[in-house]
Amino acid sequence: MAIGPTNEEARSTVTETPTVVSPAWLETHCETVTVVDVRDRREYEDLGHVPDAVNVPADRFRDPSSVAAGKLPDPDAFADLLGERGIDSGDSLVAVGDENGVLAARFLLTASVYGHEGELYLLDGGLEAWREEHELTTQAPALEPTSYEAELRDDAPIVDRQAVEAAAEGDAVVVDTRTPAEYDQSHIPGAVQLGWEALLDDAGRLKPDDELEDLLTERGISRDERIVLYCNTARRLSHTYVVLRSLGYGDVRFYEGSLTDWLRANSPDWDPIQLYENVREVASNGFEALPRELGEDVFGRLHLIGLYTQRQEGYFMLRTKVPGGILTAEQARAFGEIAEEFATAPEEHGGSEQNPVHGDGFLDVTTRQGLQLHWIRIEDMPEIWDRYDEVGLTTIQASGNTLRNVVACPAAGLGDETIDVRPIAERVADRFEGDRELANLPRKLKVSVAGCHENCGRAEIQDLGFTPAIKGGRDGFAVKVGGGLSDGPRAATDLGIFVEPNQVADLSEAAAKLFIDHGSYLDTAVNRLRFIVAEYGVDAFRDELERYAPFAFEPYDEAFTTDYRGDHVGVHEQDDGTSYVGVNIPTGRIGGDEFAELAALAEEYGSGQLRLTPNQNVVLTGVPDASLEALQDEPLLSTYSPDPGPFSRGIVTCTGREFCKYGVVETKGRGYRWAKGLDEWAEETGLADALETVRVHMSGCSASCAQPQIADVGLRGEVYRDDYESTRAADVGLGGDLENDAFVDWLVGSVPIDGIPSVIERTVRAYEIDREDGESFADWTRRMPDTELRRLVAEGPEPNRPVVGTEVS
Amino acid sequence: MSKSNQPRIPETKGVGGDPRERLEDVADPPGKIWFRDLDEAVIEADRCIQCASCVAACPSDSIGIDEAEGRPTLVRMCTGCSRCWDFCPRSGLRYERVLEFAAEERALEEPAIYAAKASDDAAAAGQDGGVVTALLAELVEAGELDGAVVARERDDDPLRGEAFLATSRTELLEAGGSIYNQTMGLGQVDDLLADADLETDDPDLALVGTPCTIQGVTALDRYDNPAADPIALTVALMCTRSFEHGRLVSRLAEFDVDPEAVDGLDVSGGTLYAYDADGGELLAEDVDAFGAAGLRGCDECTDFVGGAADVSAGSVGTADGETTIVVRTETGARAWDAAAAALEATAVERPETLEKLSAWNRRRAESILPREFDPEGEVGITYEQHLEAYDGTDREPEPLNPARVHQYEEWC
Repeated sequence: MAIGPTNEEARSTVTETPTVVSPAWLETHCETVTVVDVRDRREYEDLGHVPDAVNVPADRFRDPSSVAAGKLPDPDAFADLLGERGIDSGDSLVAVGDENGVLAARFLLTASVYGHEGELYLLDGGLEAWREEHELTTQAPALEPTSYEAELRDDAPIVDRQAVEAAAEGDAVVVDTRTPAEYDQSHIPGAVQLGWEALLDDAGRLKPDDELEDLLTERGISRDERIVLYCNTARRLSHTYVVLRSLGYGDVRFYEGSLTDWLRANSPDWDPIQLYENVREVASNGFEALPRELGEDVFGRLHLIGLYTQRQEGYFMLRTKVPGGILTAEQARAFGEIAEEFATAPEEHGGSEQNPVHGDGFLDVTTRQGLQLHWIRIEDMPEIWDRYDEVGLTTIQASGNTLRNVVACPAAGLGDETIDVRPIAERVADRFEGDRELANLPRKLKVSVAGCHENCGRAEIQDLGFTPAIKGGRDGFAVKVGGGLSDGPRAATDLGIFVEPNQVADLSEAAAKLFIDHGSYLDTAVNRLRFIVAEYGVDAFRDELERYAPFAFEPYDEAFTTDYRGDHVGVHEQDDGTSYVGVNIPTGRIGGDEFAELAALAEEYGSGQLRLTPNQNVVLTGVPDASLEALQDEPLLSTYSPDPGPFSRGIVTCTGREFCKYGVVETKGRGYRWAKGLDEWAEETGLADALETVRVHMSGCSASCAQPQIADVGLRGEVYRDDYESTRAADVGLGGDLENDAFVDWLVGSVPIDGIPSVIERTVRAYEIDREDGESFADWTRRMPDTELRRLVAEGPEPNRPVVGTEVS
Repeated sequence: MSKSNQPRIPETKGVGGDPRERLEDVADPPGKIWFRDLDEAVIEADRCIQCASCVAACPSDSIGIDEAEGRPTLVRMCTGCSRCWDFCPRSGLRYERVLEFAAEERALEEPAIYAAKASDDAAAAGQDGGVVTALLAELVEAGELDGAVVARERDDDPLRGEAFLATSRTELLEAGGSIYNQTMGLGQVDDLLADADLETDDPDLALVGTPCTIQGVTALDRYDNPAADPIALTVALMCTRSFEHGRLVSRLAEFDVDPEAVDGLDVSGGTLYAYDADGGELLAEDVDAFGAAGLRGCDECTDFVGGAADVSAGSVGTADGETTIVVRTETGARAWDAAAAALEATAVERPETLEKLSAWNRRRAESILPREFDPEGEVGITYEQHLEAYDGTDREPEPLNPARVHQYEEWC
C-alpha cells in the first residue's frame, strides 16, 4: 500500500522532461501543441483563453477525497477527463494557468506520472504573459473525445516516507519548497529551503538561467545529486519540479504527503516533555505571557499536556490521564484536594456559586475514564504538577494528536475475566508517553483493552479495541480496528487476528506508525484511522498493519465477547470474596471535597482503590461483606448512590457550553436536572421499578464527547429556528446498542431543548406499554418502524410562541 | 448497522468529495446541516455573494475568511449547528421574507426619500453626493456612533477593498468612495473591534454594506444573535451585483485599462466608468460587458435597494453630484435627523428611474432564481427544499472543496 514505488524502483531512469517555454515559443508552435488551461471553468469560459486551449480545471485533477494516495487523482478519472477534452497520449501539451504557474505545473506532473507520452511544456508567466502580446478568445474549441489511458508509471519519481527519511539521513538533497517563514518554524532536518517564488521575477516570469543556477548552487543543489522535494499539499513542489527538470536536473523526486506530523516530531515546540518544562518555567508570568513567550500557536500545542482554553478567557480546562481509570486512594484524595483548591471560579463568574448544582471546586469524570478540572489558572500549574508528581499522576499527552487515555474494563483484575488488563493498559500508555514521534500523530488515536467478556472497553468505538480471545490454548486478544463516533461514525471491524498480551503495546505502536505513514495528509477533519480502514478495506489494512508489526499475524481460535455490559453501578461480587461497589455520579460531576471523601471511604471500607468508568461513575473495590452495609449507610452514598434512579444511572454528558468553546447547549446542569426530574416522574408513574436504567447521552454539539450514538436516547446540541423564535435544541436519536452493534438512528433534528424531557417520557412510556418480555429499549426501537418513533419524538404540544429572539444563540 | 426491515432515513447528503459519505453507520436526521453542506450548495456552486453572514452567525467562530479567495472557509471544527445555513441569503435564509419582516416590524409607515449631498468636505471624498460619508462622520463626531464598518481600498492591491472600522471623521473621509468587491465586514466586526481598542465595551457601530449583507445582519438581529449586537445602524448601498476583484481587474485589462492608474470606479445608468486620479475618464463601457467579473450569486437577488436597511443610498434617480437616500426605519430617521447639519437634502417622490431599475432587477432575479420567490414563505429553507429546487439546474450543489472544509487544525 505504499504511496509510491520502492526505493529500488525509484532509482530507475526517468524519461520525461517538462520544459518551460515562452509566449513567443507558444505562438510559433501553436499549430503542433495542445494548450491546456487549468483555471476555473468560469474564468476559462467567461474571461477568455488562449485560442484552441482546452479547459482542464485544477480541481478536477487534484483528488479531493482520497485519504491515502497523496494528492494524485484516480488514474481512470484522469484518463476520462483528458479523453473528454480530446487529448491523446502522444499530444504535446502546454499547460497554462494563473501567473504563478503552480497548478499548471501540477497538471504536467500529474500527466507525467500517469505516463503521458507526448512532450510537456509550462508556459512561463502563465496567461498574463500570453496576454501582454496576444488576444484571448471566449470561443470554445471543437473537441473530439479520445480514449486516453492513464496508468502510474513504474518509474514515476514519487518517493514514499521512508525514502524521504533516507534522504534526510544524507543520501539526497532534501528541498523544502515552502516559504522561508514556514521553513523557519520547522523543517525536515538537513533540508534546504527554496520557495518556488524565489525562482520567479517580479512579473512572475522565470528568472534568467544564471540567476537560477546561483540560487541552486548556494543551496547545494547540483545536477549530480539526487534531489527530493516536499511541501505541504504537493502543489508548490510541482512548480519546482518542472523548473528543475527543465534546467536539466536529471534526478528529481518528490513526496506527495504532508509531513506536518514529522516536522512536529522534530520540533522542540511539539515535544510534550519540552513543552511541559517550558510551561513550568513561564507559568508564573500568567496567561497573557504564554503566547508571547512560547509562540502564538501555543494554545493548540498545550493540548499535548492536557490544557485546553475554556470559554471564559484566561482560564483552562485541565485533562488528566488515568490509564484504565485506576486510581489509588492517595491519588484520588490529592486530586480532589487540587479540585477544591484550584478549580475555583472567580467572583465575576459567580465564585463559589458559579454552578447551580456544584458551586465550584468540582471535577468531571470523563467517558475515557479520565479526569477534568475547570477554571485552572496557568500560574497554579507548577504547584498542581508538583502535587501530581508526589502521587504519580500526569497530564503529559492527556490530549493532542496522540494516544488518548487507554480505556480498560473498570472491573479488571476483580474476577470473571480471561486476562487482567491493568498492566497492559499501563504498558500501552507508557509506550507512547514522552515519545516525540508518537506524540505527534496525524490525529488522535483511541485504544481500549478489555479482559472481560462484556465488552467493557467498547471496542467498536475505538481506533483499536482489544477484546479477549484464545489461540491454541493461549489467552490473548482479538482486535477491532477503525471505530469512532464523531462526524462520520463507524463501528470498528474485527481484524480476525490473535495478539498475545505482551504484543498489545507493539500492535498499538504499529498502528500508530501506519497511521503516520498513510494518514499523513492535510485534510485533517477526516483524518482518523477509520477513514484509512474504510478506504483500504479490512483485508488490505490488515496486510499493511502486519508490515508494521514486529510479529506475524495469525487468526484467533475463538473470541470471548459474549455480552455487553452497560455500567458497573451497584454491588458486585469479586473473585476474592469481597465486593466492588459502583457509585453513580450523574453526569460525572462531583465536588473535589466529595471526591476526596470517596477516597477516604475506599480506604476505610475497601482495598483503597477507585476505578473511573466510561459511564462517568466511580467503583470502589475490595469491600468485605462485613463492611458493605456501613459503606452504603455513609451519607455521601445517598448523594452518589449505588442504587440510583434509572435516569440518574444512565445520564452521560460532555462538558457542554458552560465551559466548552464549541458547545451549542449547556449539558451538565441540564442533564443533572433532567435525570432527577425524570427519576421522580418514573417514581410517580411506577415505572422506576420496571426500568433499571435509561441511558440518555447528551453532547453539547455534534461532536461525540458524550457518545450519544451508543445511548438509548442520544442527544446532541443544535439550534432551532422558525419564523418567530430561535432557541437551543437537540437532535434526537434512539436505540444505540453496542451489544447488537447498533448506533442510534438520528430520527428528528433540532427539537427545542425544553421539550426534550417530555420526548423522553413519551418514548419511555410507549416502550413500557409496548415491549415484549425481556425486550430491551434498543430492541424495541429496532422493532418499531422509524416513522412511528419519529412521530413519538416529534409530536408534542405546540411550542409556546414567545416574542422574537427570546433566547440568543 | 442498517435496519433492513425499515425505511431508511434519507440517504447521506453530499455530492462527493468527502470520505464521510462512504461511512454509513449513522445517517444524520433530515435537515442536519454542516458547513460542508453550505460549501457544496453555495460556495462550490459558485453562488456565494460574500456577505459574510455565515461567518458572523457561527457560534464557535469556526468559519473564517480565506484571504486569497475572499470566501468563507472552516478555520476550526464545525459543530453541525446549522447557523451558517440558517443565515445565508443564498440557502437557508429566505431573504424576501426577511425583507417582509423588516417592512412589517421595523419600517416607517412611508419611507422618506431624499436627493441629498454633503455640505462639506465629504462631498468630494465620497461617492456621488458623499452623503454616506457625511452622515457617518457627523454621527461619529456627535458621539451617536462609536464607529462605522466600511470598505476602503487596500494599500497593496489597486481597486481591491477591505473591511475597515472607521472611528473618526478623518478615517471616514479616507475611506470615502465606492468599492466594487465585497469586503465581508460583517464577518470581521469582532476582529475590527479588537484592533480598534475603543473605550466602550458596548459599542454602537454602523454597518455599511450591500443589500445581502444587510439582509444577513437584519436577520441575525431579529433573532437576537450576539453577532448583531454592536450594529446600531445599517446602511445599504444600492446594488445590482458585486464584482470579484481578480476578475474585474482582468476584465479592465481586456479594455487596456491599467488597474494601477484607476483611482475610482462608478456604475451609473448601466455604464461602468473608470477614472484616474485627476478625474479623467479612462473607460466608459456598458456594465454588462463586465458580467463575467460579477458574482454569479448576485443574479438571484431581487433586493436592489437594500430593503432591510435603516438607510439606503445610491446614485439612481438623482442628478450627478447627488445621492438618492431612502430612510426606512425609526433608527434611520433618528440618524438622519441627527446628521442634518452636515447634509443638504430635498425630499423627493420615489424617483421613476429607481422604480424602473428596481423592477427590472427583480424581474431578472426572479427569472434566474431556481426556487420560488415567495415573500410569504417560511423564513427558513431546509436543505431538502433547497435541493428540490436547485438539483438539475446549473446552480446545483457541487462536491465540496477539501481545502475549505477539511484543512483546519483546531478541535475540541
